[in-house]
Amino acid sequence: MAIETLVLGAGQEVGKSCVVVTINNKRIMFDCGMHMGHLDRHRYPNFALISPNRDFNSTLSCIIITHFHLDHVGALAYFTEVCGYSGPVYMTYPTKALTPLMLEDYRRMMDRQGEEELFTSGHIAECMKKVIAVDLRQTVQVDEDLQIRAYYAGHVIGAAMFYAKVGDTEMVYTGDYNMTPDRHLGAAQIDRLRLDLLITESTYATTIRDSKYAREREFLQAVHKCVSNGGKVLIPTFALGRAQELCILLDDYWERMNLKVPIYFSAGLTLQANMYYKMLISWTSQKIKDTYSKHNAFDFKNVDKFERSMIHAPGPCVLFATPGMIVGGFSLEVFKHWAPSENNLVTLPGYCVAGTVGHKLMSGKPTKIDLDPNTQVDVRCQVHQLAFSPHTDSKGIMDLVKFLSPKNVMLVHGEKPKMMSLKEKIHSELGIQCYVPANDETVCIPSTQYVKAEASDTFIQSCLNPNFKFQKCTSVDICNSTMIGRNLIPELKIEDERAVEGVLVMEKGKQAKVIHQDELLLMLGENKHGV
Amino acid sequence: MDSQIETLEPEPESEPNQIKQTLSLHTLSSMRALIINPSTPKSTVSLILETLTRSSQLTHHTVNLLTDIATHHPSLSQLALDSLLPVTESPTRLAVEALAALSEPPRRVQIDDRVFVSVCFGASVSAREWMVLNAGYRFGVRPGLLVAVLLGFTKDPYPNVRAGSLEGLVRLSERGEFHDVSLVEACYRRAVQLLRDMEDCVRLCAVRVVASWGLMLAASNSDMKAYWSNEVFAKLCCMARDMSMKVRVEAFCGLRKMEMVSEDFLLQSLSKRVSGFGKQKGTLGQGKSEQFIMLATRVAGAIVHGLEDEFFEVRKSVCQSLCTLTSLSVEFGRLALDLLMDMLNDGSIVVRVQALETMHHMAIKGRLKLHEKHLYSFLCALVDKSWDVRCAERKILKLVKLNDLALFKSSIDKLLENLDSYPQDEADVFSTFSHLGRNHKKFVCLIINEIFVQVEAAFEGNVEFISARIPALLILTVSASLLNADVGSIPPVMFSYAVTFLSRIYNAFSDVMDRDALLAFLCEKSRCTGDSATNVNLGQGEQQLPLFEGDARNEVIDSEIDCHITRELEEVANYPIEQHQSVYNEVINFTNYVLAKLLDMWPWIQSGYTNEVLRSLRCLKEELATMKFDSLGSSDDALAFTSLYLRIIKLLAEVWEHLLPAKRWCSQGMGELESKLGKLDRRVKELKSRFIGFSAEEELIVLELMLLAYALRLCKVENCCLNLTFKRLTAVYALVESILKESSASPSNFTVELGKLLHESSICTGASSSPLQFDACLKLFSLKQFVFCGGIKHIKAVLSILNTDSEHPLPFVSGLPVGIPCEITLHNISSESRLWLRMSMDDGFMGFVFLDLNCFKNSEAVRNFTFVVPFYKTSKANFLTLKVCIGLECSFENVSPIRRFGGPKRDLVLLCKEKQVYLSKVNKD
Repeated sequence: MAIETLVLGAGQEVGKSCVVVTINNKRIMFDCGMHMGHLDRHRYPNFALISPNRDFNSTLSCIIITHFHLDHVGALAYFTEVCGYSGPVYMTYPTKALTPLMLEDYRRMMDRQGEEELFTSGHIAECMKKVIAVDLRQTVQVDEDLQIRAYYAGHVIGAAMFYAKVGDTEMVYTGDYNMTPDRHLGAAQIDRLRLDLLITESTYATTIRDSKYAREREFLQAVHKCVSNGGKVLIPTFALGRAQELCILLDDYWERMNLKVPIYFSAGLTLQANMYYKMLISWTSQKIKDTYSKHNAFDFKNVDKFERSMIHAPGPCVLFATPGMIVGGFSLEVFKHWAPSENNLVTLPGYCVAGTVGHKLMSGKPTKIDLDPNTQVDVRCQVHQLAFSPHTDSKGIMDLVKFLSPKNVMLVHGEKPKMMSLKEKIHSELGIQCYVPANDETVCIPSTQYVKAEASDTFIQSCLNPNFKFQKCTSVDICNSTMIGRNLIPELKIEDERAVEGVLVMEKGKQAKVIHQDELLLMLGENKHGV
Repeated sequence: MDSQIETLEPEPESEPNQIKQTLSLHTLSSMRALIINPSTPKSTVSLILETLTRSSQLTHHTVNLLTDIATHHPSLSQLALDSLLPVTESPTRLAVEALAALSEPPRRVQIDDRVFVSVCFGASVSAREWMVLNAGYRFGVRPGLLVAVLLGFTKDPYPNVRAGSLEGLVRLSERGEFHDVSLVEACYRRAVQLLRDMEDCVRLCAVRVVASWGLMLAASNSDMKAYWSNEVFAKLCCMARDMSMKVRVEAFCGLRKMEMVSEDFLLQSLSKRVSGFGKQKGTLGQGKSEQFIMLATRVAGAIVHGLEDEFFEVRKSVCQSLCTLTSLSVEFGRLALDLLMDMLNDGSIVVRVQALETMHHMAIKGRLKLHEKHLYSFLCALVDKSWDVRCAERKILKLVKLNDLALFKSSIDKLLENLDSYPQDEADVFSTFSHLGRNHKKFVCLIINEIFVQVEAAFEGNVEFISARIPALLILTVSASLLNADVGSIPPVMFSYAVTFLSRIYNAFSDVMDRDALLAFLCEKSRCTGDSATNVNLGQGEQQLPLFEGDARNEVIDSEIDCHITRELEEVANYPIEQHQSVYNEVINFTNYVLAKLLDMWPWIQSGYTNEVLRSLRCLKEELATMKFDSLGSSDDALAFTSLYLRIIKLLAEVWEHLLPAKRWCSQGMGELESKLGKLDRRVKELKSRFIGFSAEEELIVLELMLLAYALRLCKVENCCLNLTFKRLTAVYALVESILKESSASPSNFTVELGKLLHESSICTGASSSPLQFDACLKLFSLKQFVFCGGIKHIKAVLSILNTDSEHPLPFVSGLPVGIPCEITLHNISSESRLWLRMSMDDGFMGFVFLDLNCFKNSEAVRNFTFVVPFYKTSKANFLTLKVCIGLECSFENVSPIRRFGGPKRDLVLLCKEKQVYLSKVNKD
């Protein structure tokens, strides 16, 4: 049996994550995202590849959404309401709570920009009715053969890795995850499993990050320096995730340093999002969970709401504005006004998609940025690039792969050259076969299949009792090749021969059977078909 | 109550004939009610016992009842347990229950190998699990058999059995050394395989086995020690990325046991990037190797990952393991300190405190080098919200040597800030100031003018009079001028100011002097003009400024132990009550920590790192001095013992230097050596005779130190007093032998060799052997672990002369005896001890008066009485000064150089400071 993996999105790129996995005629779609960088038909995965006649209901067993980011969930409403999929959709509770917000926000933004509307508010509401929420580590029997289970992934609130099992074939799709905890979320957590395939993100396939404490210190120093010189700090973020992370950090620091400079959240999604965080405490990190009864970490003491009129108000301030990457909207508006002053600071958290203003700021040190053919902005402000990212770094990916030790690894959600080098590393260091398919490619991966065999009573009896032996054998130990003058000492090894005593008998037309070796002769005497 | 029992009692009796049937559950439960009721008559219980044992077959319930009888009725316990014995024969779950009951109050039960093996190999998995887990320490199963069985069961398909057998291996490793290296290696390798087990609980135990057996493997072969240590280190680091929090905690616990790791790997554990392939210096043989890279990848960033962990348990565990690891490499310590400083911003108090504790350890080891960049986070801990954090931080500040003025000034500012925000910390902050001043005299001199201006302004304007800042600054100033320091630049008026705050500040100096001594010191200082500020002699009355360095003059343990601390009431009230109780434990823990440290130092002493050792000892001693102690608890005994022990080790270190080949012929200081040996002699004798309540092992450790001191003398000093020393050595050796005979302890190599030597020389000449032979003997000596468990009592005496001081001398008439009224308090002195009052005069006269303890009937722990000592030798002089003190006759030594007439037959060990008595002749006019 094989695992057939069709990569519809996020193959050798970041955006519109969508992987369709077929195991033993069960088809699971992992994530259903959209691409933020495209406005044409490339915005959505090419669903036609799943079923040419667009009969998704019979071809797909279920859809699994890992978290609420648009590049993982953006195409869901379109797929269910416009393309007509009506099967089950699984996601965690927080994801279910936050996904409609994200989709609605996006729809409104498109609306404002006068783009063609691909789905309506009604679509979103209808789509959410198809969603089945799951809890962490809850095993869900989708149908007779298909089992899924969610594991904590860090990254953003409610993010999960999903484990799926069809028959004897087991696999994990990580979605986006983080192996180091941050101020508000824990690190990814998973059991040791016997996997045939691990599909992992690889956003930072070559980066290795140093201690987060140093990064936090640098960020705080940059912000503190800017505001103490009377400058304004613009932090463009998406509403959920980094905004809360950085805000906890700043709020703590303000408290400790007794700073009085105001911190603002741009109106809209962010304040509402904070409310959701306050409710979803059980999905945050150990510390916040432990202390929330005394003080909810998302009750920010020093944070106020920002009014549009305050853009030109004098004096220092810190502003969190949506959307991140300065792709448009309010953060772009503020950026236009604040960028020309060298006192001000723009901090860009994490990753910026090519083509956005954020990406332009990060690549090189531009003095002028063309927003559109008619508008040009002088950039004199300081730019602080935050190495804060909710994604795991290359070491984290390696650690996870090492811990799970799957038979095959597939990398998605990354940039091609970096993925190639990580692929090489996984192959050479861990000896695991690794695949890096491009979009719309299909990869077939062999998988294990267990044959059910009946066991004879004698064999079961012998298995119940331990039966181990010690063997002296000369070790040929590769690790010791560097040691000087080490004699090859016979090494003590233990063998438990219980399983070895069994003999697998396969008779024509009958189910395979395991019998004890002593029984074999008896059986052969009667039956010449024994193998 | 009784009637109730009566009604219940017949029940077991009523059906004696039906015993062959199984007892009903109802009957059994009423039996249980009777058994656990303490007022059930014994006869009833023995009836029940009989009924139970007579019933045809023991079941789970009957076994439980028998166990209950054994625990609730000690008199029947043996009978009940014996009736359990037959069950253990069969390999069932029941047998295990019976065995568990038999070995319950942890005692060793002997079971034969057959039973052990049959239970293990029986079909019951839970029985198997229990057996592998407990076989090691509950039953005396042969280690050889046990290890084989445990090793075998690490292959068991049941995870609990695998985990159990690994745990069994860990317990086994605690029991001792295994000489079969291949067996140890097999265990280690099997555990390494299980590090990749599917089950968390198995991985957890595997980590423990890797740590314990891996280190055993490393210890088994000195050539391969580095190799195996690095291996184990890498394996443990690898588990720092496990997904189970408990496994991660255990991995870092394992790192705490590391004894050596090559520096490259240590540094690698601080960086996630695998680097430094070029740098390694032959630690692993030649150049860069695949092996090295492989290990380095495993190690990479382990510590950083641990410190970044989501769970405070893990972060705390990492901070703890850094205590050990930072002592392995200087460079690592330097880099790890940067990370530790970041941990002071941690959200969890436990982690912050542990980070500070780790720095404190580094400070003790002299590894704490603070830099400008650490300043902010480090000092911020002083204004932390948590009392524990602030306290831990101040503990470091008391010890640390700051190396630049800016750091010093910021520390002072932050401490003052601490005082402003948390007035309840006043006592400890003051004491910190006092230590800071003593440790940084030069810096205090540099900022004395600023301080002076502030103090002056406060006194003139009375503005800040209420605040604690001024006393704090005064403490800093006063402490800098302690210990004969040359700080002439301090305006004398500062000391006068300090006098006005005396009641508030004297506690900050309680570790070096009491209130009166401080007052005397301040008065003296405020009077002097600046030139002759040094060397104030405070020999008036009873107060003396004890000398820290060099103890040539006073032969008594530093007065820091003896001196009375009288805490003022309100200050005591400030202490939380539990604080008081925990002090004793804290002291004992710390004492044992110090004693364990000394053990670690011994190899250093032997290899001649005398200066390093002396520095560490000094730190430990200062540490010891900072320990708070309440005057009631027996923590005084622990502190007195430890401080004396410390001094002995210090002297040993100094003497040992002369044994080393390099120093052997350096003529400098034969006299010095002589005096050191003399001191060593006295101190060791003090250790032997001023403490009671040693166990046999402890006694042996002390006696061995005496043997060592004599052997050192025999080996080093010219023959003037060899004969006497030799005799003493033989006497002490006889004592050792007799103790060895009585106890089960085995003699150390040193003792054995010494014994042979003594035997030979007594046969040949009856006199001493050659120094060279003793030299060889000394090489065999190794310090033994002394664990203070609270049984040891300090013998001490407090002597005060009544109604007299230098201003009011006692009158005498020359030629007639004079009575000196003494008030004597004796602690822990038994009535068999022979106590003497020694009176001496400057002209060399010495007189003794025997103190007959039978005359003063009091409790042994504390005796308090007054006693008038007669003094006969009143001469013609107008004034006489007499020094009086109390001494204890060494009961164990019967060899003495001179037999004085009327005085003690053996050497005296002084129990208190010498007190001066002033006598003046009565004028007839």
